[in-house]
Amino acid sequence: MAISTTAGHAPHAHGKPTGLWRWLAATNHKDIGSMYLWFSFTMFLSGGVMALCIRAELFQPGLQFFQPELFNQLTTLHGLVMVFGAIMPAFTGLANWLLPLMIGAPDMAFARMNNWSFWLLPPAAALLLISFFVPGGAAAAGWTLYAPLATQMGMGMDLTIFAIHILGVSSIMGSINIIVTILNLRAPGMTMMKMPMFAWASLITAYLIIAVMPVLAGVVTMVLTDRHFGTHFFNAAGGGDPVMYQHIFWFFGHPEVYIMALPAFGIVSHIIPTFSRKPLFGYTSMVYATSSIAVLSFMVWAHHMFTTGMPATAQLFFMYATMLIAVPTGVKVFNWIGTMWQGSMSFETPMLFAVGFVCLFTIGGLSGVTLSVAAVDIQLQDTYYVVAHFHYVLVAGALFSLFAAIYYWFPKMTGKMYSEPLGKFHFWWSMIWFNVTFFPMHFLGLAGMPRRIPDYALQFTDFNRIASIGAFCFGLGQLIFLYNMLRSIRHGQAAPHKPWEGAETLEWQIPTPAPYHSFVEAPHVEAGDNGVIHSMTGGAHH
Amino acid sequence: MAESSRADNRVLLLKLGVIACVMFAFAWALIPLYRVICEVTGINQLVKADAPAAVASDPAVTAAPVRLRFDATVQAGLPWQVRPLVGQMAAPRGEFVRVDYEITNASNREVTGQAVPRYLPAAAGNYVKKLECFCFRQQVFKPGETRRFPVVFVIDRAMPAEIGEITLAYSVFDVPGQGTP
Repeated sequence: MAISTTAGHAPHAHGKPTGLWRWLAATNHKDIGSMYLWFSFTMFLSGGVMALCIRAELFQPGLQFFQPELFNQLTTLHGLVMVFGAIMPAFTGLANWLLPLMIGAPDMAFARMNNWSFWLLPPAAALLLISFFVPGGAAAAGWTLYAPLATQMGMGMDLTIFAIHILGVSSIMGSINIIVTILNLRAPGMTMMKMPMFAWASLITAYLIIAVMPVLAGVVTMVLTDRHFGTHFFNAAGGGDPVMYQHIFWFFGHPEVYIMALPAFGIVSHIIPTFSRKPLFGYTSMVYATSSIAVLSFMVWAHHMFTTGMPATAQLFFMYATMLIAVPTGVKVFNWIGTMWQGSMSFETPMLFAVGFVCLFTIGGLSGVTLSVAAVDIQLQDTYYVVAHFHYVLVAGALFSLFAAIYYWFPKMTGKMYSEPLGKFHFWWSMIWFNVTFFPMHFLGLAGMPRRIPDYALQFTDFNRIASIGAFCFGLGQLIFLYNMLRSIRHGQAAPHKPWEGAETLEWQIPTPAPYHSFVEAPHVEAGDNGVIHSMTGGAHH
Repeated sequence: MAESSRADNRVLLLKLGVIACVMFAFAWALIPLYRVICEVTGINQLVKADAPAAVASDPAVTAAPVRLRFDATVQAGLPWQVRPLVGQMAAPRGEFVRVDYEITNASNREVTGQAVPRYLPAAAGNYVKKLECFCFRQQVFKPGETRRFPVVFVIDRAMPAEIGEITLAYSVFDVPGQGTP
């Protein structure tokens, strides 16, 4: 292994800027990545507080804490904040931090645009959060902002629409940066079909974002003009159609589901090989499975709309197309299991979260296949079964993979080790209370409890109590994670150069912590599948 | 970074930016696109008149008369009273059925409204062929005006026998920006 930390300075070399300016004018991909991650963690906590408000209200039947209006605002903003404020920026942040290191690039392709992509996020988040305090309160139409509810609400809806516009611009710019970096800045020897899975997943996700975020921006703009400029896109009286909103929204909405899932698949495809000390099983099939999930995601949107009165032939088409997605997803799950098979496995915190991800994501995937059956979906539409399903894929899927990623790359990012006992405790605590929270929701949904209501019939009380207790414990457990991170950044033990025995991708070939300016000269690498580095020459840092 | 790779990056940036703009335009294009799809496939033609010839009149297919119920809901913001003169009736298949609706503008301003029909069960929608309906166009009402509208339709003989009862329910919407305040 050749690591060269050059002492001589390149003409443009400069040190680390200091003070507030370092962050406001940040162009370094590591600084911007860190800001993305802290931002998304802050949003995760605010969305989490909203979730706990919801669970507190649902602890028992009747209205205890919130009037229905505020309850609806909480469910709406919980969804919007978690999707657009926590999960999507977290994956963009990880991509910022890691992509240049993984493919041997000096930085992201457009460093100044990168700065702007990040700094658009805080104003958008502020618009979402202050909308609670305007007359009429925040948007309360559910995170999907369905017309005709969305065309009738107070100015909180306008703030939400503008926030979505800004978030959309931010994520599109972030995605363009990711695509250009991956396509144009790979080090010699790092060919497309040798690239690590996280890079592949980020690339495909970025294409999805560019394809569908503008559609979301378009449809919320139509809501805006319906609200204020007398258009009738979704107004039945003027010849419009509220169901049209759902068609356009879910054309965005279904690929969005994979925008939040594909990067998670990428992360897990790094961690499982590392801790199984085996190469990823079926790398090529992983790449093709990821691509076909992305293509199929454009053809299944109406499975969210089985109850809108579609013709039976259309229902059958969307039902079979949806079931088809289980095939590439199944390929991935079996490849992960195949990677672990007869591996020399060890269970450090990242691996625990990755294996937890595989188990729980599969449960969420199977409840998704259940919901894809049109006849069943008509019964389960808008019940807690749906809530259980998408929290299994988003919390145990996206969020667990993010925790796995942070623990896995923490030594490389900070040069310190996190506390392994606390990390393991965080995993088991989250694993148990996640299931206590969300598993009973399957039963509630099958028994017919509708989602997005502040009150419920008495027979649902027991399972709701269990879910609420689980939610508070799960939420508290995340403070352990915060404590572990803060304490380890300051007082953690110095991380060894290569903390994980089986980690073979390019980011592990450079010093720890990663130098502020890494790969100012592109290295020459000889790489195998999934970005496994056989040898590296050159590649200067300072 | 070499100059040539900078230029490559800019070209790619431009291309991806164009894709994003095209997708934004595509969202708006979906509106006419869906309309065309609905027209071609005949989905969602609730407020269009059916041609009498479209009714299958094979007398060999006979079934029991259909129980019909009529209803109307006025959406918020529209100061109208809408009611069918007959609440329910039994009607044979394949023959003209006429029911009258009375609409009153209960305000002292001119108001425009649009009715959208709905059928329960939804599957019955394809077999109720409307020849005359106030829902075919927007209706303008003067202050305090009352009018009666005949709704004329035929129940297709081809309708499956298991549909024994149909509810025809209108939702009546306010058309904003029309009429005098």
